Amino acid sequence: MLDIKNLHVAVGGKDILKGLNLKVDAGQVHAIMGPNGSGKSTLSYVLAGRAGYEITQGSISYNGEDLAALPPEERAAKGVFLAMQYPVEIPGVTTMMFLKSALNAQRRSRGESEMDAIGILKTVRKKAAALNVSEDMLKRALNVGFSGGEKKRLEILQMALFEPRLAILDETDSGLDIDALRLVAEGVNGLRAPERAMLVITHYQRLLDYIVPDRIHVLANGRIVAEGGKELALELEAKGYEQIVRDAA
Amino acid sequence: MTAALALPTRRVEEWKYSDLARALGDAGFGETSARVSVGALPAGVEIFDLDEPNRPAWVKAHYGKLRGNAVSAVSLAKARGGIALRVSKGACIADILRLDFAGEGHVRALLVLEEGAALTLSERFDIAGTRNAGFEIVLGANAQLNHVRLSPVSDAVQVEEISLTLARDAVYCAHFANFGAKLSRVELAITLDGEGAQAHLSGVSVLSGDSHADVTTQVIHAAGRTQSTQLFKKVAGGKAQAVYQGKVTVAHGANGSDSRQTAKALLLSSRAEADLKPELEIFADDVKCAHGAAVGDLDADSLFYLRARGIPEREARHLLIHAFLEDALTDIANTDLRETVRGAVSSALNEVSA
Repeated sequence: MLDIKNLHVAVGGKDILKGLNLKVDAGQVHAIMGPNGSGKSTLSYVLAGRAGYEITQGSISYNGEDLAALPPEERAAKGVFLAMQYPVEIPGVTTMMFLKSALNAQRRSRGESEMDAIGILKTVRKKAAALNVSEDMLKRALNVGFSGGEKKRLEILQMALFEPRLAILDETDSGLDIDALRLVAEGVNGLRAPERAMLVITHYQRLLDYIVPDRIHVLANGRIVAEGGKELALELEAKGYEQIVRDAA
Repeated sequence: MTAALALPTRRVEEWKYSDLARALGDAGFGETSARVSVGALPAGVEIFDLDEPNRPAWVKAHYGKLRGNAVSAVSLAKARGGIALRVSKGACIADILRLDFAGEGHVRALLVLEEGAALTLSERFDIAGTRNAGFEIVLGANAQLNHVRLSPVSDAVQVEEISLTLARDAVYCAHFANFGAKLSRVELAITLDGEGAQAHLSGVSVLSGDSHADVTTQVIHAAGRTQSTQLFKKVAGGKAQAVYQGKVTVAHGANGSDSRQTAKALLLSSRAEADLKPELEIFADDVKCAHGAAVGDLDADSLFYLRARGIPEREARHLLIHAFLEDALTDIANTDLRETVRGAVSSALNEVSA
């Protein structure tokens, strides 16, 4: 589904990703682990299509299509979803209105009919209950005054609503207490499906106790330096990033 | 034209951002009189045509009495006709009073709300015609006026001065939706004359092309425990110019007064301009005053977030602009008038990013 080859990305003229290779198949959950500054967030942003992330070399193929050629909204409509590390607050737009606009925009882009307000409300309510997203949160301005946990739960609610084919979770665990983490992980696990791939980006091994990946890749200095099964997380926990990076060199 | 009736030039500080002489050219406002009319007159509202002889006492008592600027002095001297309206003591008018200014030249209007009267006023400034309107509003004790002024986009020079005086506990809530003109200026000269009087002003401007919109307010807290709030939001694209000048004066002895003033502008193009100038003069003790102004661009993080969720760029920009304007729009108490302004905002936004 996702095939990244020799990807080089510069941000503000500075090289951040320096020859990254990664292949993720449908039905799989891959984890990207790495120390701060290794390029994890750059990878997530370049996949979602944020401006200012310049691909200087290499390619990103998504279901055989050149992902880099598409604007962010088309990537979303084609099933790419990025659960953001820092969801933005938008005063003046209610959460429910935002969800409706986004869902219908994606449907329009795919040539599907728009859902009416009542249909969306019913769908959202059902999925929101499972993630403990309250009715009040849906009525409030998007992410405004939400706690860290509420913001992350809303990201997962969007993932459940949009039903993406490739979900990228950027540091979804950061700043969450154990209960919030468990809730988020349950939400994510509930969305594992044969037709869906997930890329879980995290600094901490802890998240992978709850979302068990098929593969783990260690990102350091803009490149994948080590790969393995879920046991690699334990090795990282025991040895630390420095040792793993050194072993790989 | 005598010297006393000369129109202001840009050298006059309050007209620095609105070059009236240049916009008008040699013709000035002309010598004709513009028109002001009301739609269906709601029961309980009394009307007097200022062209008629034998002005009643209430017109004589108030017409031409409020402080005005230089332009207002010109309209007072030159306008023929115009209308005066009165809501008598204690009358609460349920229907909206619709007031339309149209035509070319000078025009005057007077509105008097007597003690305890209540009214919702919808004012519309017609797009055709170079026009100078002078509007005096007198609010008696405990009177309440909700006022929504809509001026759709025009290519003429359109100026209005609204002078108001508020007696004890009177409340004035007003919204100014201004979509620009060759030169558009609405100026409010408000005196909170009686204790506990309140003026709550809000407004939105959505400008495109090379249009100009100036909202200038002067609020004088002349008595104690008076309140004024102002919230003006402006969106400018193309080569448009948005102006807000707000001067709040808290007079000596107006203790316990409270004033808040916010003006924000969103510039959608590098050639658009916003001039925001909040000013505060305090001569009293024990007052709460705050003011702020900010000019910015659409937030890149928010735009990316919406697009990453599948919302196309143009729609995402519109959503964020609506969000920016929202708090100024929710201040419009009357639902129908609020929706009318929202509709005008949506149409104007289509022009901005076209």
